[in-house]
Amino acid sequence: MESKKTSSKIGVYICECGPNIADNIDIDTIIARLPSLEEYQNKELVVKRYKLLCSNEGKEFLENEIRENEFTHLVVAACSPRDHDTTFINVCKKTQLNPYLYKMVNIREQCAWIIPDKEKATEKAIRYIRAATSRVLKQSELIEKQLDIDPGVLVIGGGISGIETALSLAGKERKVYLVEKSSELGGKMNMFKELLPRQNGNRDIIEKKIEEVKKNESITIFLETELESAVGFLGNFEISLKNIKNNQPGAEFTVGAIVAATGFRLTDTGKLAQYKYSKESEVYTSLEIENMIKRDGKIVLKSGKEPESVGLIHCVGREEKGYCSQICCNYMLKFISFLQQQSDSIKIKDFYRDMCLPHKEDQGFFEEVKNKGADFIRISDVKIKGTHVEYTPIGKDKKEVDVDMVILAPAMEPEKGTEELAELFNVPLSETNFFQEEHQQLNPVETSIEGIFIVGACHGPAGISESMLQAQAASGKISTRLIPGKKIVPEVKVSEIMEDFCMGCRTCMDICSYGAITFDGELSVCVVNEAICRGCGNCAGSCPSGAIRAKHFTSAQIYQEIIEAIR
Amino acid sequence: MNSKDKILVIGAGIAGMEASLLLANAGRSVLLVEKLSLTGGNTIKNEDSFPNLECSTCMIAPIQQDILQNPNIEVMTLSTVKKVEGEAGNFNVTIDKKARYVSLVDCIGCGMCYEPCPVTLKNEWEENLSEKKAIYVPCEGSLPNVPAIDPEHCLQLNGKKSCNACVEACMFGAIDLSEKDEEVQVDVGAVIVATGFDMFDAGKISNLGYGKFPGVYTSMEFERLFASNGPTSGELVLRGGGESPRSIAIIHCVGRKELGYCSGVCCMDSFKYSHFLKNKLPDAKVYNIYSDICLPNKTYQIFYNKIKGEGGGFIFQSSPEDIEIKESSGKLGVNLTDRNGAAESLDVDMVILACAIVPGKESENLAESLGIELDGKGFFLTRKEDVGTVETSKAGIFVVGCAEGPKDIQNSVIQAEAAVGKAILIGEINGK
Amino acid sequence: MKPEGKDNFTPKIVGYLCNWCTYAAADMAGSSKLEIAPELTVIKVMCSSRIDFNMVLTTFFNGADGILIGGCHPGDCHYDKGNYYTRRRFALFKDIMKILKLDPERLQLSWISASEGNRYAEVVNSFTEKIKKLGPNPLNGNPYF
Repeated sequence: MESKKTSSKIGVYICECGPNIADNIDIDTIIARLPSLEEYQNKELVVKRYKLLCSNEGKEFLENEIRENEFTHLVVAACSPRDHDTTFINVCKKTQLNPYLYKMVNIREQCAWIIPDKEKATEKAIRYIRAATSRVLKQSELIEKQLDIDPGVLVIGGGISGIETALSLAGKERKVYLVEKSSELGGKMNMFKELLPRQNGNRDIIEKKIEEVKKNESITIFLETELESAVGFLGNFEISLKNIKNNQPGAEFTVGAIVAATGFRLTDTGKLAQYKYSKESEVYTSLEIENMIKRDGKIVLKSGKEPESVGLIHCVGREEKGYCSQICCNYMLKFISFLQQQSDSIKIKDFYRDMCLPHKEDQGFFEEVKNKGADFIRISDVKIKGTHVEYTPIGKDKKEVDVDMVILAPAMEPEKGTEELAELFNVPLSETNFFQEEHQQLNPVETSIEGIFIVGACHGPAGISESMLQAQAASGKISTRLIPGKKIVPEVKVSEIMEDFCMGCRTCMDICSYGAITFDGELSVCVVNEAICRGCGNCAGSCPSGAIRAKHFTSAQIYQEIIEAIR
Repeated sequence: MNSKDKILVIGAGIAGMEASLLLANAGRSVLLVEKLSLTGGNTIKNEDSFPNLECSTCMIAPIQQDILQNPNIEVMTLSTVKKVEGEAGNFNVTIDKKARYVSLVDCIGCGMCYEPCPVTLKNEWEENLSEKKAIYVPCEGSLPNVPAIDPEHCLQLNGKKSCNACVEACMFGAIDLSEKDEEVQVDVGAVIVATGFDMFDAGKISNLGYGKFPGVYTSMEFERLFASNGPTSGELVLRGGGESPRSIAIIHCVGRKELGYCSGVCCMDSFKYSHFLKNKLPDAKVYNIYSDICLPNKTYQIFYNKIKGEGGGFIFQSSPEDIEIKESSGKLGVNLTDRNGAAESLDVDMVILACAIVPGKESENLAESLGIELDGKGFFLTRKEDVGTVETSKAGIFVVGCAEGPKDIQNSVIQAEAAVGKAILIGEINGK
Repeated sequence: MKPEGKDNFTPKIVGYLCNWCTYAAADMAGSSKLEIAPELTVIKVMCSSRIDFNMVLTTFFNGADGILIGGCHPGDCHYDKGNYYTRRRFALFKDIMKILKLDPERLQLSWISASEGNRYAEVVNSFTEKIKKLGPNPLNGNPYF
């Protein structure tokens, strides 16, 4: 082809949508009127109608038209872009017309179907088409970029969640770096012997998995190590570690994704006046009991004697923390069951507020334990002085009882250092101080920073099953995004900051939900990382000096629409 | 694409859609089979979903659009899996594909065919709270936005009368009444079961008066009644009477004792209803009648506290199945036992029964076709050797979402993502 | 040109709608074939937080009689919390309008979710009515240039 596209040539194609548009909008009037409008006087414009552009014939027709006419810009006036934007983008792609030089106009849902007066509907459709045509001339080609990725993954935390993540992901083409701050793998599960009955036959699950991790050649383990810094984005994070013992810089490497599996700790019962206890008293926290079972194989008093009566108190710190830890009811039942096996004559008093049994097998277990004679008392209030329990059964008067041993179920809270890690990653914590998901329902194991994941009890109170599923879920998401040997294509409708206009106030940095904006100290300007930006345009809306262009939604483009909308 | 790289996903609810989309975006070919004529599952029936009260349509519709437009996903509606043979990496699947009678390609969703149809039916999808024609979409905003024809009630198709009204009304030649049900054979490498759940039949607890008194609603009925694209466009009016309720009792745990498990989501749903009611009918009295408050997520208690702050009454009742609902002079009397064991009675206009989640009706047949087990309650069973898994006793078959047991959206999506990981990583780790 | 008396006044209204919720609601209203006042022209943005002072002022300076901003309900934002920023900026937009002696009622922010097709129609129709009552934009072009 000898003719080079020097000036613009715009194609405007109006879909009749059968009778849907054709009956309610006078398409011929549009075709007759458009070319006479002032803005098209110096431009080449082709306006045509077609019975159904989204049909196979319609798409072919459009394709041929684009090719034959060598359009530089295309406007399709039809239904909602939510229905067929993708259809026409694909037509553009086939014909080598950059899809960002095309615009769809919704004259069905927004004109034909909602305005009974045909003349008015036609006027509005003309307004829309003019707006789109003016806009499309201000649109610029956007080219998708392909970025290389590193399929490797950094896992922080060597508990069950971290281990499960590492084992799920490590393979021939994917390295996993497993970082643990203590001197051994296993986390809290090292303190456990008994799991729930529904998790039966898996008492040595953690030992087995630790062995597997150690044997796996694709997993590198760093003990007594913590994360020093992580800079980058999905596919490309630069990692530096730090040796905790000697406070020396550790290994440096690149990964494509990071999984935080930093776990939980129990809330400090010493801070709760009603549960004050000393190490000398026969009051134990749940983890102390787990540990005792693992160490001694039984639940005993300090004297070594088995208790004859045990009081168990649920929801310790629940009100103060503001959430239910969801696994305590279950493990309390596990303790009761253990005590019942240990002694036929054991007297159990279980003080609970709500029985939280959200798994399908849980209630059966509860009933089994209850039927064996444990006394479950629903309370509105409870207080202990050593092993003397004062409680108020719901709707009744205060009572008291002495037991040999008290077991507390303190609320789970995020492990020490969670806040610092969140700051390092620049990801938010939820109201309850656990990590916050990018979207609680739709993206539950990823943070607002794409490529940084959260699994296990740092994500929220979780038992072993839930933690393992979350670990597998994060692995699943990573496996779909970081495919060894494949590149990733980030969003192109992103923001960019014009250096010359930016005054470095960093307003945009503060409001970006995705941490896509950084500050360049040398030039004293903000910079958008296009690999992270999702293109909402909030930064452009916030910039006091108008230095930010939201690509494909620039002020110039929107201005054209405004002018036509109110012409 | 090699057939064993293809993955079959059964059920186009939130879990199935999430799994399909992730797989497709990773370049895998997906066949998504859905028994109904639309995608979205149970989630799309909700106006808002807890705890953030995010509009479900806003949340889900973009996913539904993606599913329908993604070149790697084939969506097969009105279809069920009949037989599965073979093993991981090489399953041969037989699918019963019911005729839709309307072309997904040619129909543009204008809706011109509904009015001429002479047959009016109860709309089951809307919990029978509205009517539809024999050619229908279940609700406004259904995706795909293409109607289907009910062959049992269409006069032409059931042979009662010669009728061609919809065909004549369609300007696109999209309706073909001669379309036949098909049996489709597909080879796939793995199967993800995401068939979701049904609701406990509240009629089974006769003293709750469901089906007897029009003022007694199930939770799903209330969801639709409240939905802005539902039978009343979201106006809260009582069945028949057309008036708004002034006092409402929400009864939690309906079916829990009979079924032997807690569904883990009904408390939050009930609080959501409580909030909806307080918002729309500020003067209405709302009572939550509960036994255990189950809030298994870090943010759920925050929601609960907010609802308590809105002033709904909370009444403890140890056994909801003992509640007796009676009707006298247009009011519903909710007779319960209060904390001290004394009898108490509430007069209300409306009762909402927060029904338990039960296994989908087709689970048993499907389990048999797939050669996998159900648990004692009728949900799909995951591999017994594992503590937390989506794998079943048969390699290459995974189960996610409420098909595995009652759970919220978050946990359904987590399982979907986990299954996707298993399906992809098994190949990757083996160095394929 | 039509005479711009209050009685036969055809207002010019711009509706900035977010892609995820309110634009979808407009579609739902359309496919429900609800009757909606024709005066409003929709301009789609990805998120209502894209809307800046410039857009609002440009729209009024060029003669718009009213602006409707439609976004997701608080808590529903597709981009986490964009609409909270919209809400904050909206308050400032209104302040600026007071300085310009423009009735702040000419600018409306409505949260409309994807399933609220009916509400979308109601909001557009009542806003159009309101603008009709308020009459033409008194600025009649940019007063500062």
